[in-house]
Amino acid sequence: MPPRQPASRPSKSRAGKRAPEPPQQYASTDDPRVMLDRQIGALFEPIPPYPTQTEREGEFYTLRDGEMFLNVGPHHPSTHGVLRLVVKLSGEQVVDVDPVLGYLHRGVEKICENSDYYHVIDQVDPLEYVSALFQEWPAVLSFEKLMDVQVPRRAEYIRVLTGELLRISSHILYVGFYALDLGGLTPILYSFIERDEIVEMLAALTGARMLFNYFRIGGVNGDLNHEFMSRLGDWMSRAAKEVESSATLLNENEIFVRRTRDVGVLDRAAALRYGVTGGNLRASGVPFDVRRAHPYSVYPELDFNIPTRDEGDSLARYLIRIDEIRESIKIIDQCLHNMPDGPVMASLPRLIRPRPGRAWAAVEGPRGMLGVYTISDGSDQPFRFRIHDPSLLNLETLPALATGHLLADTMTIIASLDPVMGGIDK
Amino acid sequence: MAVGDRGSGARKPAGSRLAPASPAQLSAPIVVPNTLWQSANPLAYDGGQPTEATHLREFGLTDAGRNDAARWGALQVIPTNADYIVDLIRANSLWPLLSGLACCAFEMMSSATSKNDMDRWGMFPFRASPRQSDVLIVAGTLTTKMAGPLIRLWEQMPEPKWCVALGDCTVSGGRYKRSYSVVQGIDRVMPVDVYIPGCPPRPEGLIYGMLQLGQLVKDRRGHWNEREIGPTVPDEI
Repeated sequence: MPPRQPASRPSKSRAGKRAPEPPQQYASTDDPRVMLDRQIGALFEPIPPYPTQTEREGEFYTLRDGEMFLNVGPHHPSTHGVLRLVVKLSGEQVVDVDPVLGYLHRGVEKICENSDYYHVIDQVDPLEYVSALFQEWPAVLSFEKLMDVQVPRRAEYIRVLTGELLRISSHILYVGFYALDLGGLTPILYSFIERDEIVEMLAALTGARMLFNYFRIGGVNGDLNHEFMSRLGDWMSRAAKEVESSATLLNENEIFVRRTRDVGVLDRAAALRYGVTGGNLRASGVPFDVRRAHPYSVYPELDFNIPTRDEGDSLARYLIRIDEIRESIKIIDQCLHNMPDGPVMASLPRLIRPRPGRAWAAVEGPRGMLGVYTISDGSDQPFRFRIHDPSLLNLETLPALATGHLLADTMTIIASLDPVMGGIDK
Repeated sequence: MAVGDRGSGARKPAGSRLAPASPAQLSAPIVVPNTLWQSANPLAYDGGQPTEATHLREFGLTDAGRNDAARWGALQVIPTNADYIVDLIRANSLWPLLSGLACCAFEMMSSATSKNDMDRWGMFPFRASPRQSDVLIVAGTLTTKMAGPLIRLWEQMPEPKWCVALGDCTVSGGRYKRSYSVVQGIDRVMPVDVYIPGCPPRPEGLIYGMLQLGQLVKDRRGHWNEREIGPTVPDEI
């Protein structure tokens, strides 16, 4: 009688042909192995732990064969704020991205609705913290629309001057962080030289380096002073040269160009559909700029170009910023030459009670259209204070842009979109 | 062979190179003769007498460790306690964790880059991993949603570790004292060693705070774990 094979040890030839076993089902929940499986499942708990809320969420959190989730953050994935990404990967290829927001939600809108109109200007500063004046600007503009305040021309010129300085500062930081996210440590050292010089001269004017609280309803807080002007003159004499030299760090860099060209292409139709504004939109070939399309302040009097590009990829978004720095230097030069004399503040009561109504005002920030929608009910506090931030709409394109690229290109795309999480999470 | 079958009484084959060690070999300690270094001066270490200060705290109360001769003279310091030297090294090489939360992160980066250059005091390498870092600089508003991940980062850092609260929001809530979603001072959720107020503080403020932290590390004299945890936490939170 031939020896029988034990039942638990099938022969190799049979084992190779056998189909993979289905997941083992236990007859009863009293089986201790059920608890073991649950504990292991708790360690690698599928995200989210709650039942999915929307169809899109259910589709995202369903893994197909060979796919896996990777959690990125919430830890400054792009050195611009606290953002968490749930990336669905197939191998090293990104299948889908789910940005998780809200790690910097500070309740600013609600605080503003419980503040005086004067205090709102200070409260909105930390939203756009890279260039805080651009968040004060639409708030001040909407309040002035509500109150029919005529702003002195010198104040308007000072606003444009300081705003364009901050735009340069923000774009220079963009270049540095972009390279930092791609692994290049050198450009940020050059970026911060210029940025520190700009914020130091603004500190001489406003008293703060980052959160300025400088714009007022009906003007600005304080006229130009000697230290600001001397620092600005020194810097302007070498600004164009510095910008060109820092641009050559990356423009001709083969590694940088290869990692950014044709990565995250945002075509014109998609950019318009997503509501992208700012340099990201102009890199896709749409010459939309709030300074031209809906002019405010003294921008109609100034001569500047709107640089556009047709490629729509990450490299184009970088090159647009470099071009905008050059245009901003031109604007600052014209501001200094055309700066009129006169007061910098309109006369206003200490307690502001605008008439009931609503006002929308928007400015062109470094990242796109920053808007504020104010509803006044006639009291000294805004009834509703809605903040529109461009970074949110820019970041919404991330899942579409990153799909199909490698995981490392996700960082490229985030850095090229230039989100600031303070404005997104408010 | 399946994994579960391992060690089920199966003997190793006879020709295996991994012969088991005899019990005598395992119980005998490995002795390395200490002939590598000896003092040239036979009167060093008080002539071979034991030191009067038997405990680290008692030694810290005396001035013996505070004069420069004791701090820098290797003959007096090395034999007493390695913590003094280790603390000196720690204080001069504080590696922060790269964790910026909001606005203050930009001033933190500014203090690390060209103009302010914290690297001059050995504080530069912003580590991306909490396991490689000494200091957690909480730079920016800590919201309730971010508090969990930040505490997780803090708990992943190996001791000794220090925490620096940078900015008004982290010190007390600051301008978000009225907000419903902001932790009103990070000392409600984690211990803090240095508070740096300001909205945001200048980079010089951060550098000064880090220098103060270095002094704190040296002053604690090895008692780095004797930190007051949560000094201002009310009961209801």
